[in-house]
Amino acid sequence: MQQLDLVFSALADPTRRAILARLAKGEATVNELVGPSDLSQPTISKHLKVLERAGLVSRGREAQFRPVRLNAAPLEGAAEWLGDYRRFWEESLDRLDVYVKELKRKEGRHVSKRRRR
Amino acid sequence: MSANAGAGEAEADRELIITRSFDAPARLLFAAWSKPEHLKKWFGPVGYPVTMCEMDFRVGGQWRAAMTGPSGTQQTPFGGEYLEIVPNRKIVFTNGFELAGAEKMIMTVTFDEKDGTTLLTIRTLFASIAQKATHVGAGMAEGIASGLDQLTDVVAALKAAA
Repeated sequence: MQQLDLVFSALADPTRRAILARLAKGEATVNELVGPSDLSQPTISKHLKVLERAGLVSRGREAQFRPVRLNAAPLEGAAEWLGDYRRFWEESLDRLDVYVKELKRKEGRHVSKRRRR
Repeated sequence: MSANAGAGEAEADRELIITRSFDAPARLLFAAWSKPEHLKKWFGPVGYPVTMCEMDFRVGGQWRAAMTGPSGTQQTPFGGEYLEIVPNRKIVFTNGFELAGAEKMIMTVTFDEKDGTTLLTIRTLFASIAQKATHVGAGMAEGIASGLDQLTDVVAALKAAA
């Protein structure tokens, strides 16, 4: 799977989004993530693996606690894909309408100049 | 998902069509699409000017552009290749972000002039239903939709914290 696909499929799950929201406040150990949830440690670990593969979180080196932290970079890449595609084009076409009228006016001036000659 | 994840998905489920009528001849609109100095004047929403634009406007030629947002940072460039050009009638090109794993969409822009009015049609064929959902939000799984909402919040929080 490609990076962006991994990011979006990682975000499709509410538990993983909750984990990210928690990590946005600061790093946490797996036990700290298990704490407030109704989920078991293996389930949380499984979700963390998905997030890790998407590059959204990384784990510390200390074998015993291995705190999990959020990686912002792939999120920003994904955020650029957000936004309303249709609105993007509608706004562009509004501007194109204004611009093409300007082109037409300029062309009209050239034509009348040529006629005068 | 591979680059052609959407190959088995019906085109009708992957496309989006936008039309607009202009009180101008097709050749002016065609020019507005085919020259960087023109494109820079209108492409993109207000507040996001095109600050980089290169076009090798011929079949097989490449194009690329990037916009700069209110923060002053140039955003990820996007671009692709021209697949078909019929002067004053039609331009077909690929379009996608220059990001690892980004899928390309195929854009078909047609110019139909009648009595001095030109109907512009922009047909976007997304690489997959998933890509269309990401951009347009139509027919997407609720989970992904709320994931994207939350993503926006998370990114905003990260930016505020940075």
